[in-house]
Formats: sequence, C-alpha cells, structure tokens
Amino acid sequence: MAENNLLEMRQIEMTFPGVKALNKVDFTLRAGEIHSLLGENGAGKSTLIKCLTGVNKKDGGTITLEGKEIQPQSPQHAIELGISTVYQEVNLCPNLTVAENIFVGRQPMKHGQIDWKTINRRASELMSRFHLSIDVTRPLSYYSTAIQQMVSIARAVDIQAKILILDEPTSSLDDNEVQLLFDVMNELKKEGMGIIFITHFLDQVFAVSDRLTILRNGQLVGTHKIEDITKVQLVTEMIGKDIDTIFSLKRAEVADGEADMLVATHIGAPEKLEDMSLNVKKGELVGFAGLLGSGRTETAEMLFGATRITKGEIAIDGSKTEIKKPFDALVAGMAFCPEDRKRDGIIGDLSIRENIALAVQARKGFLKPISTKEQNELADKYIKALGIATPDAEKKIGELSGGNQQKVILARWMATNPKVLILDEPTRGIDVGAKAEIQRLMLEMCGEGVSVIFISSELDEIIRCSNRIIIMRDREKVGEVDGETCTQDQILSIIAEGSTAAGGEAS
Amino acid sequence: MSDRSLASRRSLGSRIMNPKYIMIYATIGIFLVMYLFGAISYGAQGFTTLRTITNLFVDNAYYGISAVGMTMVLITGGIDLSVGAVASLTGMFIAYGTTVLGIHPLLCILFSLVVGVGLGLLMGWVIHRLNVPPFITTLTGMFLARGVCALISRESIEIKHEMIDSLASWKIYFMQLKDGEWVKIKPISYINFNVILFIVVLIAGIYILQKTRFGRNVYAVGGNEQSAKLMGLPVGKTKILVYGFNGLCSVLAGVAYALYVKSGWNLSLMGAELDVITCAVIGGTLLTGGVGYMVGTLFGVLLKSMIPALITFNGNLLSWWGKIATGLLLLLFICIQKLVLGVTGRKKTSKTKPIKE
Repeated sequence: MAENNLLEMRQIEMTFPGVKALNKVDFTLRAGEIHSLLGENGAGKSTLIKCLTGVNKKDGGTITLEGKEIQPQSPQHAIELGISTVYQEVNLCPNLTVAENIFVGRQPMKHGQIDWKTINRRASELMSRFHLSIDVTRPLSYYSTAIQQMVSIARAVDIQAKILILDEPTSSLDDNEVQLLFDVMNELKKEGMGIIFITHFLDQVFAVSDRLTILRNGQLVGTHKIEDITKVQLVTEMIGKDIDTIFSLKRAEVADGEADMLVATHIGAPEKLEDMSLNVKKGELVGFAGLLGSGRTETAEMLFGATRITKGEIAIDGSKTEIKKPFDALVAGMAFCPEDRKRDGIIGDLSIRENIALAVQARKGFLKPISTKEQNELADKYIKALGIATPDAEKKIGELSGGNQQKVILARWMATNPKVLILDEPTRGIDVGAKAEIQRLMLEMCGEGVSVIFISSELDEIIRCSNRIIIMRDREKVGEVDGETCTQDQILSIIAEGSTAAGGEAS
Repeated sequence: MSDRSLASRRSLGSRIMNPKYIMIYATIGIFLVMYLFGAISYGAQGFTTLRTITNLFVDNAYYGISAVGMTMVLITGGIDLSVGAVASLTGMFIAYGTTVLGIHPLLCILFSLVVGVGLGLLMGWVIHRLNVPPFITTLTGMFLARGVCALISRESIEIKHEMIDSLASWKIYFMQLKDGEWVKIKPISYINFNVILFIVVLIAGIYILQKTRFGRNVYAVGGNEQSAKLMGLPVGKTKILVYGFNGLCSVLAGVAYALYVKSGWNLSLMGAELDVITCAVIGGTLLTGGVGYMVGTLFGVLLKSMIPALITFNGNLLSWWGKIATGLLLLLFICIQKLVLGVTGRKKTSKTKPIKE
C-alpha cells in the first residue's frame, strides 16, 4: 500500500445479533482520491461507514487517520475528527432554514451571539456554488428532496473535513445535478480531500472514482483501480454470480385482443395534472418514463385515490368505478406501492408478518380480524416466494435492508390478489441483485394476469420490462411508445422535445 | 423577530411572507380581532384604556413566565406536566419557610431553585438516557412535587415577611404630564415586580432561542432528533438543559404566584400546566416540536387572559364561559396549524424541480 494513506481501516469486525456484518474488512483512502465502495444491500457498506462515523461501535480492528489511531464514539466525535457524512436519506431538520441546516452546531458567532447575517450570506454563496439560487432563509421543508439533498451535501462540504463520505447521495438527483455534484467532488479532490462514494449507479462509479472497493456478505472482495476493471467484472464480483442469469428477463406476453383492465379517461385534479388518459390491458406492464416531477407520481396517486380527481372517469375491468379515497381503489382491486417507502410504505415498528397482512386486513374490514395462524401462513408463503432475507416473520421491518423492505411491501399488495398493481420507483436505492428480483416478480405477476403500472427514473429497466411506455413531461402525457421496439434515445428525445412526433404513437 | 438577513438581496415582502411566521401572524391577528371586539362592545366601560392591557400582564405574569419555559420544551418535541406542581411547591417552600420556620425568603427561593432545576434536569436525564416518554416522566415529576407539597402542609399558609410584602406591593405607575405636573394616569395603570420578571424571562427566552447555539439546537432536536444526532449536535445535553431551564421557569412562576396571592397552598395551581401549554399552543408552538416563537407565546398568554377579561367586562356571563371560549380558541388554533402545514406542504410538491440559474 502507498505511504500517503489518509485513512486506514484494518481487519474491521462487527457483529449484530446472529449476523456477522463485517468480517475482517480492510479499507484505505488516500488524500485527494475518490474511492467508491460497492456491494449489494446487506454487503456491509453502510455498516463499515457507520463504524467510521461513530454510529456503530466496531467489535474489532483498527482505524487510523493520518497515522493516528482513532475511536469514533459518536457522529459528533467523528465530525470533530474531520469525518463528515452525507447519508442516503436526507438527514437535516425540515423546520430550520436552508442556511441554518448548513451551519447549525457551528454557527459563526459575533460578540457571543449567532451572526445570522454571515450565516445567510455564506449559505447563499455556498448554494450558488451548486448553481442553486434559492432563498436560504426559507425552511428546508419548503424545497424538493433534490434540493434538500444538495443542502446536506453543501453542509458536509463546508465543514472542511479531511474525509467526506457520500452514502448514496445521487438517488434523488437528476442528471444535471449529479454532474454538478461530480464537479464539486473533483474540486474537493484537488484540494486534497479524501472522498468515499457509495452508489448503486455503476455508470457514476466509472465516471468519477479513482479506485473502488467491493464488499460482499460482510467480506472484502477486492480493491481495484478504476482502469483495471470492467463493468461486467464489477457486477460479477458484487453479486458473486454470473450476470447473465440475472438479467435474462422475459417481457410479459399480452394477446392482441386482450381486454383493458384499467381505463382512465381525461382524469385530472387541480394543481396536480390537468388531463390524463391511459389504458392498461390485462397482464400488461405499462412503464412510466419522465423526469422527476413530470407527473408520474401524480398520475399514480390519482388512479389510487390518494389525490381525488375532479374530472374524468376511471373504469376497472370494464365497469366504471368511483374512486374517492385509497380504500375505494383497494376494494376495486388496485394496489399501490408508493415512491417513498420510508414515509408512505412501511410501518417500521411492526413485524414483517404484520406489515404483509396489513392491506389484506384493510380490505376485509377491521371487524373481521385475520387470525394469527392465517397471518403466519401468509407471511411464510411470501417470505419464501419473494426470497425475503430474514430469520423469521417476526423481525421488525425497520431492521431489514432496503431491498428486503421493498419485497415486504410487494408481498403486502400481492397478498390482496390485485387486478392492477401500481409500483412507484420500486427499485430505487436497492442493489443490482435485488432490483433484478423485483423486476422478475413484477413480470411474474403480469404472467398471472395482473396489470402492472411501473414508474421508474431508470430508463433501461423501464425499457427492459415494459410492453408499452408512457412518457410524461411537465405534467402532461407527451408520448407513448412500444416497449419492445423503442430505444433509450427515442424516449430521451421525446422527454427533451416534448413532442409525440419524435416517437410516434405505438400500440 | 431577529432574522435580520440579506436585506439587500431579498425584498421586504418576501421576508415578511416567509411561511415560518404564519402562525405568529395568526395569533397576533386573532388577538387584535378580540381587542377590537372588546373595544367596540365595552369601550364605554373603559376597555380601551391602558389599564386593561397592564392588568392582563399583572394578573397573568406567572403563566407567562412558565409559558416561556414550556415553549422551549414543546419546541424540542417534549412536554412538561410538572410545572404547576413545581410552582406550587415553590409557594409552599416560601410560605412554610418564612412563616413557620422563620427562614429568610431569599434562602427559600434559592432552595426552591435548586430543587426545581434539579428536578428538571433529572427528568431531562430520564427522558434522554432511559428513553422514557416525556409525558410519563413529567407526570411522575408532577405527582412527586404535589406529594411533597401535601407533605409540608395540607393547610393554606399565609406568607408573612417584610420583604415579600414590600416586593408584592411595589408598583411602577404610568404617569402623564398634566398642568406641568406628573400625575398617575386614570384609571390607574401600573406594572409590578411580576411583570418585570416576566419580561426579563421572556427576553432571556428570545435571546437563548435566537442568538445561542443551544437555542438553535433546541429547534434542530424538535425538527428531527435522529438528523440532529447525525449532524453531530449534542442532542442529549440539549434535551436535559431544556428541562432544567423549564424547572427554573417553573420556580420563578411559583415565586411570582406567591407574590400575587401572598400565601402557599398545596392544591394551588392545579391544572395550571395545561393552561400554560394552551398559551404556548395558541401562540403558534407545534406540539409535534420544531416550531415555536417566544413572541407568539407572549401573544398566546395575552390572548388566553383576554377571555376572562372580556367576561369580567360583560358582567353577566358566568366565568365557565371562559373555559368554553378557551377550548374553542385552542380548537381554532389547532385547525389553523393543520391548515398552514397543509398549504406549505402543497407548495412544496408543485416545485419539485430546482430553480436553476
């Protein structure tokens, strides 16, 4: 190893009850380097980072920062040592202003008082470095997740740490913002900061890293220079299996004369979407492409009754259905996995069994409880069918990894035997292996005659799975293409130009 | 309040319209509406005189003092049910100490401060370290303090001490120049020691919340405790100190109440904690934490104490109508809070894309 290691983690061990989360893992970071940390969910990336940031206490091994051994005790202590972190979920305070979120805990003082003027001025400057001209005196909750994420990056950057850890910072950013982040990362690198970058986007790894380290099942697989490895090698090392077996997915087959399962005609709600029509056939998978905020989620929410429509009508299985609230949709045979599973999907303190039984119970009505025995059968069936990695059905869902949480939510809705399943970003923030499994499950359900609406920001997975793709832009449907024949460029040009002519009507 | 910032770059309008101030505006607005109602209905009986306002302060200073501490606790997302009992205990210490034991009242107050702040810090520690919900912890603290009150005496004890007497009767009269001579304005309006104590505590509260790191940590903890921890803020220390500060406010409120009634009774200020919480909530503090301003609390206290004042002016209504009106007011404010939160939330979704330069 080179002499100029900024950080050395040697033989790190960490055990959770029943699981060896980290087994003698080595990791080094040089000054002025961007080092990607890769692995599937549950591989131990987050655990390794948490040992470094003092959230978890390691059971064995040593951490050396600039030649001195350190024992981070708490996030506060880690920050004092010069280790600053941006977490995957925005970890800021929504009630404080943007400026305050950047400076809270280390506010510039003048005459023993907080110097608000300087805080707001410096925050504005910092945000303009990220090409954001926003009012920094507004509460953070006023802005979108993407901006919030930029603010948390700005905070971490401004701390002037020696080490910057970015744990999936890009999952809520669009391409421009990601590019911006990369520019900032490269600047910081030149200034001699060591950056640890965790992401599921392999393209981003290759775009920005100098070296990468791969973990699998709590063990070190290897550290490589970026020039020395190809994407296929990388994925193979990450999942430990041959990549082709995972990606051999078959699109759902829909007969030509198949009846429409869901038809929405000219539905709309004020301030959400003006006018939207779509149809989904039985057993068909319709993908929704478009940028963040283009109206994809809004459409899903209108279909499911989370937003009440003020015009248009929805028909399910040939009969007109009035959907005023999500319960109506549930009864009509719809199911909806919302975008933000932490907020709208899981109930963290309940067990896997209870989380799975939830929707079935809601549909039956709460006066007819499902017996524990039935719940257990239900849970066991889906844990097996979906390959949810858990010791038993009684584990709290909050303790599972992201991919497994998503599977539990899928199980919840599959258990209701829906006719129409709406999935909003079901694969966000989960790793390649789990992603492929979710996609496989989706397609299996189509095979059983379920109509699936699939919303995703990742074009390649939409193209890989969908029969038809609806393209949204600026809260409008701007195109519809055939999933089998279209290309990524075609869709991108429709999103960019907003014209149906570019792609042409299909199906 | 004190958010003087970037004046050159942002218009006054956008600063005033900052959504974080909406609740304060609602409180002040409703206060003005009620004052206007009083002025129109009872103007002839002298509602519009300075005396009405000064009496609001004089008669409710002890609520106000306690509400300052309570606001801070509520902002962290906690609650403190022990304030009434601790204030009552302070009254008992002063009454029993001076009248029965013959101890100087200042020593009694000092002793109360040690007990009150100590109990506050202890409750804070239990809440943070043992992770016991604030509701239960402070309920325990309330029973404890009430129990000690009864242990000291079941009877009401009059406070007889020169210093207390002179402090209680000390007044600053509002004067006006009449025929080249300073005379008390009519009807006689004055403020007393309690009002000054309230204003000092209030200003201290504003200063702590707006100008110190500790104060900002209070907001951060209330906004999202987990985030605050990951941002490296001293969450535990903040929470413990907040309950300690509230203990201090409870004791000072107890001192003010003792001066107001000049006696100690083990059952005094029963349920006062709920009145204090009401003041903070109608002042715009969110029970879920993270939002609240001391100025709002000041108007919350004034608004809540305006109701009995109006009933007194009316003269025909039973005082129970005051409870009903307070209940309605609280309901109104909780509805406004929900509405405001809903509106700002909707604004957010219609602005998902960042504004690029």
